[in-house]
Amino acid sequence: MGLREVLTPFTVWKHVFDDPVTIKQPIGRPAAERYRGFHQNDLDTCIGCGTCEAICQNGAIDMVAVAGYDPEKGNSGLKPQIDYGRCCWCALCVDVCMTGSLTMSNEYTWVDTDPDAFRFVPGLEEPWKDDEEGYEREGKRVLSGIERIHMEEMEPEARIGNFDEIVAGYSRAEAILEADRCVECGLCVATCPAHMSIPDYIAAVRDQDYDRGLQLLYETNPFSEVCGRVCTHKCEGSCAALHEGDPIAIRWLKRHIIDEVPFDRRIELIGQPAEPTGRKVAIIGAGPAGLTAAFDLARAGHGVVVYEALAHAGGMMRYGIPEYRLPYDALDRDIGVIEAMGVEIRTNCRVGRDVTMDELRRDHDAVVLTIGLHMGRSTRVPGTEGAGVEKAVDLLRRITDGEKVPLAEQIVVIGGGNVAMDIARSMARLQKAEFGKVGITLTALEDIDHFLADPEEVVESREEGVKIFDARGPQEVMRDAEGKVTGLRTWRVKSIFDAEGRFAPAYDQSDERVHAGSMVIEAIGQAADTSLLGAALTEALEWNRGRIKIDTAFRTSEPWLFAAGDAVKGPDVISAVADGHRVARTVMEKLAAREVAQ
Amino acid sequence: MSETNKAKLTGKATVREIFETATEFEKVAHRFYTELIPNVSKDIRWLVEELAEEELEHVELFTNLSKNPEVDAIMAAEIARPVADGKFSDCVHTPDLGPNPDDQAVLQYALMRESAAMDQYTELAQSTPAGPLKDAFVFLANEETKHKAELEKIYYETVHSGGV
Repeated sequence: MGLREVLTPFTVWKHVFDDPVTIKQPIGRPAAERYRGFHQNDLDTCIGCGTCEAICQNGAIDMVAVAGYDPEKGNSGLKPQIDYGRCCWCALCVDVCMTGSLTMSNEYTWVDTDPDAFRFVPGLEEPWKDDEEGYEREGKRVLSGIERIHMEEMEPEARIGNFDEIVAGYSRAEAILEADRCVECGLCVATCPAHMSIPDYIAAVRDQDYDRGLQLLYETNPFSEVCGRVCTHKCEGSCAALHEGDPIAIRWLKRHIIDEVPFDRRIELIGQPAEPTGRKVAIIGAGPAGLTAAFDLARAGHGVVVYEALAHAGGMMRYGIPEYRLPYDALDRDIGVIEAMGVEIRTNCRVGRDVTMDELRRDHDAVVLTIGLHMGRSTRVPGTEGAGVEKAVDLLRRITDGEKVPLAEQIVVIGGGNVAMDIARSMARLQKAEFGKVGITLTALEDIDHFLADPEEVVESREEGVKIFDARGPQEVMRDAEGKVTGLRTWRVKSIFDAEGRFAPAYDQSDERVHAGSMVIEAIGQAADTSLLGAALTEALEWNRGRIKIDTAFRTSEPWLFAAGDAVKGPDVISAVADGHRVARTVMEKLAAREVAQ
Repeated sequence: MSETNKAKLTGKATVREIFETATEFEKVAHRFYTELIPNVSKDIRWLVEELAEEELEHVELFTNLSKNPEVDAIMAAEIARPVADGKFSDCVHTPDLGPNPDDQAVLQYALMRESAAMDQYTELAQSTPAGPLKDAFVFLANEETKHKAELEKIYYETVHSGGV
């Protein structure tokens, strides 16, 4: 040991006459401006996504219910409760917060004899609740990506001349990057009508485990090819990521999983149905509700026959949605899996003509009615009767069937929903092929901000040359002396709804326009064709303001008859899928109860 | 020239004329909807039944008013003939909606009637002297306005059911 080693310990004495660093009374001593002290939370901005809870390495955060904050779309209503016996003040929770509601004050001293006092929900009553100093994330969040990974789509010039699918789908690399943006909060699950396991299947994309992803999809939805393309994706409207950026492309990631799993592999992964039960169920209508119910019932071992009036299965998914949005082969793959479960689909078999309701009732243990909304409505304004005026759903059906449909160089479409956009864009493609140019005018009662169509449909329609006139009320289809259509006369709509939100269109008659066109297409609404029921059953059934009355389990007033889907609930593929599951469960409960009784 | 036609030209009508037209308007509507009930499919019968019920209430209102001495005392008085009177009176002639009309046909007819009634009663409520008859017209004007709004809501939900 040298002299240096002997003397070094004594060097600390050099501070012996300095003022002490520690102080006797620390309470009230101000911290640095950006010191990370006790948390603050703007409870009105917090959406209860729980991302802070998930990222906390010490398990210091629990999401708890707080009085006055109820769950709603995109908001769990829960708030973070922080245990300061565990918190290490690292501020990861602040950095990851999806809305920026969580910050930290620079308050760090707090004396209390009650240890439970140090576990509380920030944002309620603590004195530093509104302090401005402390730590907050600078700028937008960086721990999860802000911008959605771009989806490759055909340019308008390339797509307008054909019915080829517009959306390319993600590559694996793109899908992983997009999946990586998801914080797995699960707010989307509550919003999805079918309650799909969205965070889990997105995690499967991230892990490149497509088998697991596919199994997760099929737990809740046998139409992932369809929903991966045309779902109304309400889930994305409740995504936590949209508060400071783009919502996760949930719909495209669903499609990516299904794209990655070959058809035969899907059937392998889903597995064989249960042993046959000997029970038989008839389903009327091969749309999303009917086929989902058929899938579930067949999986449970019941014999299922689906009666479809048209030439192919799919309902409005095939006959209402154009192929550039949903290719028929993609739909056929979804249907193929359902058929592989033993479901028999009898196409070109119209109930009421080829088979009666009485026969279905006699030959089956239960009958499920899922007939959809296939009848187009008309405005019935003067001039709508006669040649030159068509209904959108009829034309879409004929286009799907490959029929030659009436066409004109200038067409006027009435309607602001997705069906209106579908027919406008379909006719635009036919016009381009026939005349080399697009001549479509679309008029709608609603102003552009309140169109019922998906916003991307409106954007893409315009890109393809559809001229949109919003807030126009149709008054008359104009015809010349020979009765040929020359256009549509409209008035400007001043308001559609009254102060109480009721439909009460008010027009400015001085603002009149004639939209030239030798063909008018009405796409204002649809109705169910219930004529197949026959007079006796129509009388026997109970109705609810024009629709077959069902209870919450989709039972009609007739014990052998169940009903689901658009015809009884409203138009939306994913809602129809959810209904299909529910009605199948009810039918299975009924069959099981009968089994017990026997 | 008859007194009635003379009154029409001068833009005046007696309370009795107005009262009788309004009573007939409501009776015709009630009869029309009641007779229509068995001719429509059960899925839309609720609509026609509701319409018939509403018109019956109006018929009862006029029946009670006709027994009121205060109303009887002003029957000969002249008041301004409402601008909407022509359209209103035309509604006494009911249309042929066909053997099995659908919901849209019924709704369009009902909307037209409610609109005419709303205009008529609103004007009458303004021009009729104070008393039980004026109160009745004020009540009816409000009722018809509410009915029209309700029917328009049903029309939108039924016919403009939105895109898929």
